[in-house]
Amino acid sequence: MRWLSPLEPNNRHQTVRNDRLDGVGDWFLETPEFQEWRSGEGGVDKAVLFCSGDPGVGKTYLR
Amino acid sequence: MSLTARNTSSLLIDSLCDRARKENIAVAGLYCDFVSQQEQTITNIMGAILKQLVGKVGIPSYLREAFEEGKAEFGGRGLRLAGLMGMLRTVIASLSQVFICVDALDECLPKCLPELFKSLSDIVRDSPSTRIFVTGRPHVRGDIQKCFAKAVVIPISPNPNDIRNYVEMKLRKDADPEAMNNDLWADIVRVVLENMSDMCVRPFIIPTLSMMDTYQRLCVDSS
Repeated sequence: MRWLSPLEPNNRHQTVRNDRLDGVGDWFLETPEFQEWRSGEGGVDKAVLFCSGDPGVGKTYLR
Repeated sequence: MSLTARNTSSLLIDSLCDRARKENIAVAGLYCDFVSQQEQTITNIMGAILKQLVGKVGIPSYLREAFEEGKAEFGGRGLRLAGLMGMLRTVIASLSQVFICVDALDECLPKCLPELFKSLSDIVRDSPSTRIFVTGRPHVRGDIQKCFAKAVVIPISPNPNDIRNYVEMKLRKDADPEAMNNDLWADIVRVVLENMSDMCVRPFIIPTLSMMDTYQRLCVDSS
């Protein structure tokens, strides 16, 4: 499968999820915007959900 | 990208994966990163998405054949974008719904963005139930809305409870627990939360760094 792409997003995902604190961000999964988006009912118009946030400074030091 | 938004991406991916387990639904995604930007070409990105979807449906015969053909040529030729997109279209059509999550879009190589948007919008056009989740700094909003005019935008900023929990988690993991006492613990949490007004539009990491500074200062003061 490496032939398809050398990128391995699963590795990064595992690192981030291991560092995630239970409960943090749960509010997001309960927003009507997320629920509606996930349902897929809006078709093409409602296909994209964008979470915007400012950049981190020094996040590398935390990892 | 802020820790908060990255957390949101991973949380969302896990939540979707948990639901997708029993259904004909697949979740794919990518964490963009300045560090490995050069590797994040459009063919590698789409290839990674295809690789993840194939994990759900099994390797189709046409993909196996393309691999065998490529392997025999020029020491191993990969697929080009058009070929990848054709296979993605077929795989996505075999699933009832596909979620694609792209974290930290602003850390993607800028010259890749137009092709990435084009590819994502082609996928949605062919398969309108596909859902795309993107995180990024606020300035990429315009780029996203140029391509997806009705994209829903949710601004993320740290909330006090999340910060308190995070600070306390870090304190519990401190490598030097002997230096900690109840007063110091309470002071650190209080100072971080008091300074939140300066931080509310900044990502999660700022409070963490400030906390470390505060911690060190209080340790020096008490010694």
